[in-house]
Parts: sequence; structure tokens; C-alpha cells
Amino acid sequence: MGFEWIKIPYSLLTLFIVVNYGLLLNALIAKIAARVGRRHGIPIWQNYVDMIKNYGLRTSITHGVMFYMGPVFRLSGGVGLLLFVPTIYGSVMFSNLSFAGDLILALYFVFFGTLGMALGAGESGHPYAAIGVSRGLAQVTAAELPFALAVFAVALQYETLSVTEIVAAQQGSYLNWTLFTNPFAVAAAMLSFLGSMMRPPFDVVLAPQEIPIGPPTEYHSSYLALMQTNRAIFPIAKMVVYMNLFFGGAVSWPIFFVKIFLIYMVSVLVGVVFPRFHVEHSVRWFLIWAVPLGVIAVAIV
Amino acid sequence: MVDALAIIYLTLGTAFLLGLLRDEWRILAYGITLLSLAMVSGIASTWVWHLADNPAESVEIMTAGASPPFAINLRMGLAEAAALMLATLTGLASTIFLKDTLLRLGRRAMAVLLVFIMAICGIILTRDIFNLFVFFELVVIATAGLVLLSHNERSLGAGFKYLMASQVVSILLLVGIIFNYHVSGSLNIDDMAGMSDMLIQTTPLAFFLLFIALIVELKPFPANGWALDIYESAHPAFSAILSAAAGTASLFAVDKVLAIGGDSWLPVATGIGVLSFIGANLFALAQTSDRRLLGYSSVAQIGLILAIIGQRDILGDSYWLIAGGVLLAHAVGKAGLFWLSGLIAERELTAWTALRDRPLLLFAFISFIALLIGLPPFPGFYAKWELIHLLAGADRIALIVLILFGALLETAYLFRWFGLILKHDEVAEKAPCPIQKVVVIYSAVVAAWSLAYLWGELSVFGNLMHAIPLLFALLFLPLEGLPARIKNVLAIGGLVTWFILQYPLYDPLQLIFGAIILPGGALILLASFHNQGRRIGFYPAALWMFAGLSMLIVAEDSFTFFAAWESLTIGSYFLILRGKHSQPHAQSYILFSLGGAFLMLLGFALASAGNPLFPLESLTTVAEDVAPWVFILLALGMMTKTAAIGVHIWLPGAHAEAETDVSPLLSGILLKAGLFGLFILLIYMGRQQLYGIDLTHVLLWVGAISALLGNLMAIYQEDAKRLLAYSSIAQMGYALFGLALMNHLGWLMALMFVVNHYIYKSMLFLSVGGVAKRTGTKEMYRMGGLITLMPLSFIAVLIGIIAVSGVPPLSGFGGRWIFYNAIMSAEYRLPMVIIFLAGPIAFLYLFRLIHTIFLGQLKDEHRKLKEAPFWIILPQMIYVACLMVFALAPGLALRHVDAYIDNFFPRNGLNWEGLTITSTYGYWSPVSIMIVVGVIFATLFAWLVFVNRRAQKVKQFNIVFAAERPYRPETTHFAWNFFAPYRKALGFMTQPLVTRFWATVAESLHTSAELFRRLYTGDGQTYAIQLLGFVVAVYLLSSGVFYGV
Repeated sequence: MGFEWIKIPYSLLTLFIVVNYGLLLNALIAKIAARVGRRHGIPIWQNYVDMIKNYGLRTSITHGVMFYMGPVFRLSGGVGLLLFVPTIYGSVMFSNLSFAGDLILALYFVFFGTLGMALGAGESGHPYAAIGVSRGLAQVTAAELPFALAVFAVALQYETLSVTEIVAAQQGSYLNWTLFTNPFAVAAAMLSFLGSMMRPPFDVVLAPQEIPIGPPTEYHSSYLALMQTNRAIFPIAKMVVYMNLFFGGAVSWPIFFVKIFLIYMVSVLVGVVFPRFHVEHSVRWFLIWAVPLGVIAVAIV
Repeated sequence: MVDALAIIYLTLGTAFLLGLLRDEWRILAYGITLLSLAMVSGIASTWVWHLADNPAESVEIMTAGASPPFAINLRMGLAEAAALMLATLTGLASTIFLKDTLLRLGRRAMAVLLVFIMAICGIILTRDIFNLFVFFELVVIATAGLVLLSHNERSLGAGFKYLMASQVVSILLLVGIIFNYHVSGSLNIDDMAGMSDMLIQTTPLAFFLLFIALIVELKPFPANGWALDIYESAHPAFSAILSAAAGTASLFAVDKVLAIGGDSWLPVATGIGVLSFIGANLFALAQTSDRRLLGYSSVAQIGLILAIIGQRDILGDSYWLIAGGVLLAHAVGKAGLFWLSGLIAERELTAWTALRDRPLLLFAFISFIALLIGLPPFPGFYAKWELIHLLAGADRIALIVLILFGALLETAYLFRWFGLILKHDEVAEKAPCPIQKVVVIYSAVVAAWSLAYLWGELSVFGNLMHAIPLLFALLFLPLEGLPARIKNVLAIGGLVTWFILQYPLYDPLQLIFGAIILPGGALILLASFHNQGRRIGFYPAALWMFAGLSMLIVAEDSFTFFAAWESLTIGSYFLILRGKHSQPHAQSYILFSLGGAFLMLLGFALASAGNPLFPLESLTTVAEDVAPWVFILLALGMMTKTAAIGVHIWLPGAHAEAETDVSPLLSGILLKAGLFGLFILLIYMGRQQLYGIDLTHVLLWVGAISALLGNLMAIYQEDAKRLLAYSSIAQMGYALFGLALMNHLGWLMALMFVVNHYIYKSMLFLSVGGVAKRTGTKEMYRMGGLITLMPLSFIAVLIGIIAVSGVPPLSGFGGRWIFYNAIMSAEYRLPMVIIFLAGPIAFLYLFRLIHTIFLGQLKDEHRKLKEAPFWIILPQMIYVACLMVFALAPGLALRHVDAYIDNFFPRNGLNWEGLTITSTYGYWSPVSIMIVVGVIFATLFAWLVFVNRRAQKVKQFNIVFAAERPYRPETTHFAWNFFAPYRKALGFMTQPLVTRFWATVAESLHTSAELFRRLYTGDGQTYAIQLLGFVVAVYLLSSGVFYGV
């Protein structure tokens, strides 16, 4: 496994597919959530419209260098995460740039965008941005823990840190999926998943009522457009990791679309039912409910 | 050779001669006194010189033309000669010191002083027990005379109390002598010693009386209220003689008499000695008067020597070297301090702040306390090392623990005193410093260092004063007058040169640590070019620390290791103490460090089964029953340096309050000493089990909990340097964790942390220090928005936090990647839960660090700030470059270490071929990651610049603020108590339980000292009763010895 130039157009193709799928999926999810609330919801192409509008806006201001680069960090984080993990199992075309590193790279690269974005938001000088970051970071420490334990359990289970090998080990039957071979790890990871999807009850970071949209408060026009692009890519990139680790990966794009949709729906289902937690509540919630599952997973592997 | 008796008759004769002079001829009388003391000192010195070369030629001096028991005999051996030299020189020096007083008091005082010295010499020389009594009586009379002559009310009281106590002692002594004479028919000590068995069996009480009388002459705790009053109220120069010379003579007497008692009485002496050592040191903790404190310290030191005398049976040939080392150290150190107190106007300890602006006197003070505590390279150090080993060899562990505990108490008050001198808020007025007094003090300093050299020569371990790094550090003492920049050039040159010289000798492990210590230290010292002026005290201390560090990594035997360890501890203590508010932190640092060092000492002593020359490699072959204990002791000692949780409380303050360029030295370099020690420990001892518990497993938990709590506490700090300090605790926890994993990659990870932590933490401390220098505060919420004003500092912090957090593509990620691979093959899984929790918490404080300082709202008072000074920025930029290189090519350093670790854990190494690093479980390609991330970032950035090319920079308050305009930066900068919700959720974990525990320990020690010292009422009758009570108590407690039980 190494670098070949052809991987660049292949990776761009993956990116293209994922961006479009992400934009549509986000709209669909918004629509579903709206329907649950007895509203009509947005048209399915709304995200395209928003993005084109934002990229095209001519008024734009900056608060400084970090502010300017914040969205770039954010989107690089999303794109990088997507490309460091193979998307379609068994496909050379869609193995992306996974030669650069294994699962650990993906785990830690998640923070690249978050950190950069937080720094950019910080330079805007807006207190809401800082408050949002403070909340987000506080929550992520607890939310990440069960996921980290689950990953550890899975890595121990398959005795590898290579994503491709982990997916390979789950092929053959759906009963080989980690979901069935190591249910505690998956349970822990899925609870952690709730915490990272910016949906209720863990959406205090954006908290529309108290700190309107949190960290991105000051971002507008093309900055916001970059972040919207990321919002299409990043959740999917993350779910790709979940899919590969716990749900047998995907051997083709249709399976990929279905699995991603279903994984996403977990957070949507929970989100439409529960109200929002305070930060301290969610921290405790993860420690009390999710972490023990992770510990069990690690202990019994 | 001049007849030894000349010492007696010269002094006595002069004393009589003085009586013949007219009272007005005081200068003449003083001259004669000096001359006679100089002559006897000369005689004693020539004897020392002669007997040192020919130790067999000790002389028996017969008097009155008959041999004992029909006449008195004296003996002059090497020990006697040395003691005489000490006594006469102390007398001479004190007489010089006392010039004004003696001229005022006249010839009578001089005569009494001479008689006093003569009597002391007599006690040392005589072998006749009644003669001993006579000389003691002379000492008593002379003491009382000198005290009473001083015409001050307190001294009068003290003198009478002293006489009362002495009467009791004399009666006991005389009765004892009579009984013994009755039984043995001889007054000669050697005759009696020959009949020892018979004497002890038939009339044990007779010996007891003799023994206890001489013991009480030593002023043992607690029967010594009268003695303390003397120390407190007499002239300090007299106290110097009393403590140094008379104390020595009394110890000599006890030593002689114990020859009669035989070995069965040795434990009694040890018991009284140790009680005295601990009790007096404990009481000294509560003292605020300098001379009383010195009095307690004298009692304690003499107690220690008594305990050593009591261990004579197992010390063998080393007895004189050990007892002599401690004795001479005590004598010179204590006399020096008493003399120094003569230059201080008031009696409060705080009055010693007058020394602050007198570097030479301050150096004298440091030398004296180092001498007393027994720090390297002074004689007490060698003596302590050998003593503890011999005791361990004889399995007297409880005694070792007691002695070390007492020594720690002593360290506590002596170093607190020193801290007070340097850091107390008010500076006391200076008293005049007559030249003769200063000369006396400096000669004591010369004596101290000469003794250091001498003991180095006498010891079998090699002379520390020949160690080039230590000599290089000492070289900076005479250079203190030069400007700091010149000294800095020298220091950097020295570090780099030493590295170049040593480089070929290092193995890969030593090389990693050596590179961090020497060139790494030089890099940090670049920041020191920022300092103007002479910066007195910085360079000797810093280089002493570096000397210790560079000796530590090449140490091959336990002695060198320990000497290096103590050296680096002392050097760093002085560095820490330099900070403005760092006194309490430096104090707790030195206590924890020396406490840890003592544990190590005990560990080494146990490991070697009493052999003081112990190669570190032999740790592999330690006897099975003690091995786990050795492991625990050594590990605990080393963990005080890495500030593992439980013994971490010194670190935050010490690092935070230190000067700008000192914090990185401490955090980046000093902490690594502990890690190096742990490496050595684990390399040689490996896994150890105690009651079935794997001790490395315990270390794993300690490391994990340190990582978690260090990180948690870091997020709640408002002070930027404290935040970094707590972060260091956590990072060292990670490294400890890696080591304790006991597998290949765990160790590699620990080494990666060693390198990474050095780079990023040094860089961050420098950045934050530079910012603090400009803003005048370390409180983060008082800063904000500094990014445009201090862009370079910002870049350093940004790169630093990315590296600390482990986010790709910088080198921190490599550490995480190795960590995950390491835990894959770990045997224990539960501690990982803690480590996993600790990981993301680092993001919290790292973001806070960069956000609250550089982002957010700029404060009005900071609008005109400049970038941090050039010399502080320069090393940071070099670190940035290092981090980049290390991120791209970690193999440069790590592949050699990886290969080296194969020696210990041949399995699961990494494969470094090509650009991708592979392990058994995964792979990682630093260059590819860097390129991929770089290309994606650059592309997106170019895209943003393209679509957003007309973006306008807006002013600070131009933000969407609910249609309001923010009022002030202070109210808009979200910074204080940044993670308030987190405190609600997990704050309970950061309750300062450990701090409270140690505070309670310190508090209860002080309280008990305060409580029990009330026994010393100052009332003469009480003292007499206490004295008798003491005698009775010793009698009852030692009755087992009497009846041969």
C-alpha cells in the first residue's frame, strides 16, 4: 500500500460523491425532523441553494488571520478525515489516502478541524463563540471516552489498528459485524455518537436560544459556506468510521448510502424525542451510562 | 614533635601569666592570648599532619614519672589530634571574633577563655577518669564564668541555671567514679575497660552513673533546657566554642567511657542519641530566635553523633570517618553559623535578611547549612552514605528511618531559614561587619570546603570535588562579578563542549537524555541573554543542577547516582527560590526532593545489603526478599521528581513562580531526571511483586491517575504558568504510564514523551513567560487579543498546543500513535480507561491557554505592547523548527532508541523502513500525513482567498452582539472560570486532598513542637528536675542492659 498519482482523482471522486450525498442527506434529515414536529420542512435541494448563495455573497469582513483560517481548518479536518479512511471495502478506487495512517490517525484527526475552528471563532472576539467552544470542549471530553474505549475494544478484538483489516474481519455474514460480536463496544460507541452529532439532547454547543449558533456566530458569507460544506462532509466521514468499525463497512455505494442513513437516523430518533442537556448533565450522563458499557467491552474482549 | 602536653601547659601558663599583667594592658593581654592559642593550634595541627602520615605513631604520655594506674596518662592519636586541632582553632577563631568584647572585659575573661580551651583539650587527651572529671569541672566553671562575665541579665540567669544543672551532673559523675574506683581499683580508663565484664556485672549502677553524667554533658534532649538558655544568651562566639569544641570533647569522653561499658551499653547511647536528634530537630521547627534554633540544632547534631557512637560495633574501620565526618561538619557549620549570628543585629530569624545583599556572607551561610545537612560534596554526605549502608547491612532499618526522618526535619528548618533570608518581605537593617569577624567567618568557609575536599579524598567512592561538571559550576562562583551575558556565553559553551566530549560515550538512552540536558539546556539558556546586570546566584545554581544531571545519566554505581541526584536537587532548589514569590514552593520542593532522596538512599542501602560501593547493574541481583521494597523505595524517590500524584504538590508553585527562563529548565529538563531514574530502575529490576501485587501495575495506575488529575487541575487554573505546570504533572504521568506498560512500545512512547515534552513545554513556558513579561501578569483573563501584537509568541503557542494535544500532523501525534500500539499488547486494561479520559481533557486547557491569551478581546492597557523580547523569542522559533523536523522525521531520534529497547524487549518493535512506520498492529506515515494535510489545507485556503478576496478587516467591537455594542473588552472577553460547567460536573475530583494531607502533616509537626517546647519553662528548678527525671528514665529503660537481659 503506497501512494500512486491515480489516487488523487479517485479521492476527489469520493469527495464529490460524499459532498452531494451529505447535502441531500442533511436536507432529508431536516425534513424528517420537521415532519415529526408537524412542519413542512425545507426542500431537498435547499442546502445547494444556501451554499451557492453564501459562496456568492460579496460582503465579507474578517477579524484577523486565525478568524480567516478557522473555516479552512474546519473543512480540511472534514476532508482529511474522509480521505484517511477507506470508504468502500475492497475497492482500490475508493480506498482513498488510507496509506498515510491507520485508525488512530482518523481518531486524532477529528480534532484538527475542531481545534482550528475554535481558534478562528476565538479571534472573532465574540463571547458567544467562546462560550460555545467552552461547552463543546467540555462535552466532547466525556462523549469521546466511550468511543475511545469501544475503539480500543475493537482493536483488541481484531488485533489490528488498520481500518481495512477490521472491515475485512467482519465480512461474510452480518453476524460477523462487531455489532453482534462485541455488542457492548457498539452500544458504548453509539451513545458516544449521540454526543458528537450536534443534535438534542447534546446540542448545547450551538444552543440557538442562549448563544445563537455558538462558535460560528461571527461567520458569514464564504466562511459560512466552507463550514456548510464541512457540515455535509464531516458527519459522513465520522459515520464512515463507525460503519467500518461496527457495522461491517460497505462493499458498494448503495450499501454505503443505506448504512450511513441508518446510522444517522439513530441520532435523529433520539434527538426528536429528548430535550437538551446542560453541559454538566451530559458530562455525567456519558460517564454514568456510556462509559461502563465501554469498560465492559474492553474488559471482556 | 612538640610534646602534646605543651597544649595544656601553654594555655594554662598563659592564663596565669595574664593574671600578672596590669588591667590596663588589655591589648597586650589580648595579643598574648592570641599568640598562645595560635601556638597550641599550631602544635595540634602539626600533630594531625604527623599522625595522618604515620597513624601508627600515636603517643602515650605518662605524667609524674609513673605508669598508670599510679599516675595520669594522656593519649595523642590521630582522632585526638584532629579534635584538638578543631578545639584550638575554634578557640583561636572565636578569640579573634571576640576581640572587642575581650578588650572590654579585660584579662580575666581572656584567662577564663584560655582555661576553657585548655580544659576542652584535657578532656580530649586524658585517659584518666578522675582527670576527666577535673577537666569537666574546669569547663563548667569556665563556661559559667564566661557567661556570667557578659553582664547581661539573661546570661546571668542562664549562667546560674547552668551551674545548677552542672552540679547535679558533677555529683553523678563523682559518685560514679568513686564506685568504679572502688570496684576496679583503678582510675585509668583502659584498665577499667580491661575489667569491663566484671565492672558491668558486679556494679552496673556505677557505670551507669558515670555514663549518664557524661551523656548529660552532651545536653541531650529533653534534659537540656539550661543548655539552650546558654546558647541563646551567651555571646555567639562563645556558643561557637561550646557547640563545636566542648561538644566534640564531651563526645570524646563518652566514646572513651563506652569502652568501659562494652557493647551492651551502645544501644542506650544510640537510643538517647536518636531521641535527641529527632526531638531537638522537631523543636527547632518552631523556633523564631536564631541562636536558640542553633542551640537546638547543636543538640540534634550531637545527638546524631552519639547515635553513631552507639553504632560503633558495626561501623568497623569506617567508624572514625563517619563519626568524624559528621562531627567536623557539625563543628565547622555550627561555629560558622554562630559567628555569622554575631553580624546580625536582632535575634529574630527574619533579621537575617540583612545578609541578602552580601553575596559572600550568603555563600558562607549556604555552605554552613549544606555542611550541617550533609549535602554533597561535604563530609556529612559521605558519612551519611556510609552510615546508612552499614546500618542496612546490619539490618537496623528502624534506626535508618529515624535518622533520615530527623535529617529531613533539620532540612526543613534550615532551608526555611535560608528561604526567609532571601525572600522575606522586609529587609532588616545591616549591623556593622568588623573585618576580624568577617575573616573568621570566611576561614570557616575555607575550612568547610577543605573538609569537603579532604573527605572526598578519604572516601573510597571517588572525590566529588574532582568531578569536572561540579568544578565547572563552582568556577562560576569567582566569576559572579562578571556581567550575566558573559557568564551565559560561558555556560552555554560549557554545556555544549561537555556534550561534544561525552557524546561518543553515551548509549542511545543516555544520548536522548544527554541531548535534552546539555544542548537542550544551552538552548533554553539562550533566553537568559535577555537578563541584564550580573544576575548573582543564577549561574552557579543552574550549572550545579546541570552538573548533577549530566553526572546522573552516566552514573554507574549507586553512590555517583545518589550524589548526582542530590546535586541536581540542590541546584534546582536555588533556581526555584529565585522567583519573586517562590519561597514556600521552593521549600516544599526541597523537602519532597530530599525526602525522596532519602528513600532512595535507603533503597540503595537495602539493595546492596550494606555495601556502599554498589554498581547499578547489581540491582538485577538484589535478594528476593528485599527486592520489592528496594523497588518501591527507589521508585518513590524518583517519582518525587516526576511529581507523580501524591507527591506532586511542590510542582505547580515551583514552576509557576520561577523566573521566565527557569520554568523551562525545570519543566523541560529537571523532571526528566526522575524519568531517567525510573528507566534505570526498570531496566535493572524489571517487574517486582509484593504480596502478589505486580508493582509495575501499581505504577501504571499512578501514571494514569497523575495524567488524569494533572489535566483536570490544569483546566481550572487562571494562571497561565500554573496551567502549564499541572499539564507537566499529567505529561509525566503519561510517560510513567508508558514505562510501566513494560513493553517495547511503552518504553518508546515514554522516550518520545521525554523528547516531545522537553520541546513543547520549554517552548510554551518561554512563550507564556515572554507574554507575562510584557503584560505584567500571569492571569490569563487579564490578557486577550494579543495575537496581532505578539504574532511570534502566538505561533509558538499554537504549534505547542497542537503538539501537546497529539493532533496530526505534528509530533505529538506520533506519541499517541505509539501509545495506542503499546496498549494493544498491555496486560492490564482498566488503567486505560483513566488515560482515555485524560486525553481529551488536555484540549480544554490547551484551548483555554491560547484563546484567553491571544484571542478574544484585546485590553485597553495592552494596546501598545510589543512582541516578547528577542532572546526569549529566539529559542521558541528554534523549538518550532525542531518540532517540525521531529514531526516529519521522528525516526532520526527514535529508530536508534527503538533498536536499543530491543535489548530489553525484543518483541513488537517498529519497522522504520521507507517513509511509513509500521508496527504489529498498524502503520503511520508522518511525511504522507504532512503532505496530505498540507495540500488539502493549501487548496482550501486558496479557494477561500479566491472567493473572499475583498474581505475587510473590521475593528475589535464590530461583532454581532444582539444589536448592542460591547461596552468594554473586560466584560466581553469570555475567559475567567472558562470551564465553569465542567467544574460542576467533575470538580469533585480536584479537591485538594493531597495538599490537605501534607499540610496536615506539616501542621501537626509544628503544633507538637510548639506544644512540647513549653516543657522548657526557663525555670532552673524545673530544669534540674527534668534532668533527674531524664536520668531516672534512662535508668529504668535501660535496666534490661543492667541485668543482662
